[in-house]
Amino acid sequence: MNQEEKQKLYEERLARYQAAISLEPVDRMPVGATAANYFAEVYAGYSNQEIVYDDEKWIDAQVQFYNDFPEVDVLRAGKIWAPLYDALGCNLYRIPGRDLPPGGQFQYVEMERMKTDEYDLLINSPVEFFMERYLPRTFSEFKERGSTRSYIAFLKGGLGFMMRSAINKKISETLQKKCGIPQPICGALLTPFDFLADGLRGLKGIMLDLYRKPDKVLEACDSLVDQMVRGALAGADPQCRIPIFLPLHRGNTPFLSPKQFEIFYWPSLKKTLEKLIAAGYQVRAYLEGDWSHNWHHFRELPKGSVVCDIDTQGDIYKAWEDLGGWQCIVGGMPDTTLILGSPEDVKARVKELCENIGKDGGFMITGGCSFPYDTKPENFRAYVDAVLEYGRYNDSVKMEVKTSTPSTEQIFDSKPAVITPWETKAEELGDIMGDEELIKQSWEMLEHLAYNWLWAWTW
Amino acid sequence: MGKLSELAQALMELNEFKFLELVDEKLKKKEDPLEIIKECNAGMVEVGNLFSENKYFISELMFSAELFKEAMKKLEPFLGNSKTKEQSGEIVIIGTVEGDIHDIGKNIAANLIEGSGYRVIDLGVDVPAEKFVEELKKTGAKVLGLSAMLNFVFPEMKNVVDSIAEAGLREQVKIIIGGAPCNEQVRKFCGADYYAKDASAGVTICQEIYSSE
Repeated sequence: MNQEEKQKLYEERLARYQAAISLEPVDRMPVGATAANYFAEVYAGYSNQEIVYDDEKWIDAQVQFYNDFPEVDVLRAGKIWAPLYDALGCNLYRIPGRDLPPGGQFQYVEMERMKTDEYDLLINSPVEFFMERYLPRTFSEFKERGSTRSYIAFLKGGLGFMMRSAINKKISETLQKKCGIPQPICGALLTPFDFLADGLRGLKGIMLDLYRKPDKVLEACDSLVDQMVRGALAGADPQCRIPIFLPLHRGNTPFLSPKQFEIFYWPSLKKTLEKLIAAGYQVRAYLEGDWSHNWHHFRELPKGSVVCDIDTQGDIYKAWEDLGGWQCIVGGMPDTTLILGSPEDVKARVKELCENIGKDGGFMITGGCSFPYDTKPENFRAYVDAVLEYGRYNDSVKMEVKTSTPSTEQIFDSKPAVITPWETKAEELGDIMGDEELIKQSWEMLEHLAYNWLWAWTW
Repeated sequence: MGKLSELAQALMELNEFKFLELVDEKLKKKEDPLEIIKECNAGMVEVGNLFSENKYFISELMFSAELFKEAMKKLEPFLGNSKTKEQSGEIVIIGTVEGDIHDIGKNIAANLIEGSGYRVIDLGVDVPAEKFVEELKKTGAKVLGLSAMLNFVFPEMKNVVDSIAEAGLREQVKIIIGGAPCNEQVRKFCGADYYAKDASAGVTICQEIYSSE
C-alpha cells in the first residue's frame, strides 16, 4: 500500500469512527474502537517494562499488533511513559520493571496527598497549594528543597513533560503513516470530583469529607472546572476531529449513592462537559464500574456529544435502553469472555448484541473500556471477524471526515492563571525598547504552560 | 433483627456526634466494654444490611467503619485482658493477591466482616501465595477472602487456590473471591468455593461457613 492509499484508509476509518460516535449514518460498526487497548500493548511480546520505558518498542508493539489485526479501525495502546515519573521521583504509580516485575501491570497508588484542612488553600491559592504542599508529598526529588538536585528535577520534569507530548505525537503520526490508523482520543482530563478524590484526598479522605465538610467539597469542585477544561484543551486535537478522553472513576454506584452523585459529582461534571462541548469538542467518557443509576444524566447534554464507554460491571442492554440513540454506547463484551471464554463464546456474544441493539449505529462493541491484557489472541480474532460479519449496516453509506476550529472564547468564568503576571515582569524590566506585546505574549504562553504543569500530577 | 439499641441506631444512622457521646457516657457509667462492642457490631451488621438493600453505598460503609474505629480507640484502654469474639476462634483471612495493589474493596470487606464480629487477619495487598498458605497453617482459619481489582491477576488467584491444595490445606478452608472484575466464571476458573459480589455478601458467606460447623 502506498502513502496515498494509507492516507485514504486513514480518512475512511476516521470518518467511520466520527460517524459512529456522532450517531450519523455509517456503513458498519468500527472494529476495536476502545479508547485504550491493553491487549495491543503486550501482544507483540515486549514486556510491560519495555513498553513504558522504550518509546520505540511502544510504537513497534502497536505496529505489530496492527499487522496481525489490520481490520481494527482505531488504535491507542499505553499511557505511561515512565522516565518522566522517575525524573521527579513521582509516587503516583508503581511501574513495571521498577517496583513491579517487568511483566506486571502499572498501577495507580492512591494516598492522601492533600490534607482535609487544605481545601481553602487549594481553592484560593492553588500555586501555593501545589508548590508548598502537594508536589513535595508527590515528588521524592523535592525532598531537599532548594538543593541543586531539586532544581534539576524541576528542569527534567519540564523537559520530560514536553518529551512525552512529542512521543504521543510521534505515535499518532507513525500509526497514521505506517498503518493508516487514527487515534480514538486526543487530550484528556479528570472531572473535578475525581481530581479531588483520586490524587488529592484519596477515596477514604473524600468519603469522610462528604460527611464532615460537604460545603468545602462542593466549593472545591466548582473552583476546579475551568482548570480541568483548560488542561484538556491544551492537549486536544486542534481540528476537533477526535474526542477528548474523560475517565470517570468515582461516579458509579456503589462508590456514591445516586443522591450523592447528584449533589457532589454531576453539577461540576456537567459544567465541565458543557464547556468542552461549547469549545467544539466531543468527549469520550469512560464510565468505570456500574453507572446504571446515573448514566441517564448524559441525556441532559446535546445528542452525540458524549461517547459513553460502558464497563463490564454495567449492563449494556440497560445502557442502550437509557441512552441508545442519544449518545453513542461502547462495550458489551465481558472481559472474562475475552480472557477465559472461547472464540465461539465471543462470536455468539457479538451476534447476540448486533441482533438486539444498535441496529442503526450509535453502538460499538468492545471490551469493558478496554481490551484486557490477557485477552486470548484467538478470541480477539473471533471478535474482529464477528463484528465484520454481524456489524454491517449499509455498504452504500459514504462518510467524510469532519473538521472544525475550536472556539474557546467566552467559555471560561475565570482568566487563565499565571504564576508571575506580566505586569510584575514588565515593572522589573523597566523601559521596554521595542514591541512590548511581542514579549508579553511569549512570557504568558510559557507562564500558562508552567501553570498547567503544576496541575498535571494527580493521575 | 431485634430492636437496635440507641447506640447501635446512632452508628447505623452515621450520627457521629451522638454515637461517640453515647460511647463516652457508657464508659463513664462503667458499662462492660464488651457489651458496648456488641452493640456496635449490631449497628455495623445493620449498615451491611442497608448496603445489600442498595440503601447505603460505599461512603456509608467507610464512614461507619471510621466511627467504629473511633469508638474502639475509646474502648481499648478499658478492655484489659477480656476476650472478645475478635480474639476468639472465628478467623477470616483476607488479602489482595500478588500483582495487584488495590485495597479499597478489600478494606471495605475487612471492615464490614470485622464489624460483624469476626477476627480479621488482613494480609494487605500484593500478597504472595506462600503468605496465604503460611497464615492458614498458623491460624487454622476456616475462611479465606481473595481480592482482585485487575483482571490481569485471575491466574494468580488460581495459583493461590492451587498452592493451598498442594499444602494439604484445601479441606480446612473455604475460599471466597471478590473484587470488581470477578464473577462466577472467574470463581470456577480459580477453583474457589464462593464468589462474593460485594462486601455484605462476603459477610453473609462468612456467617454461612461458620454457622454450618
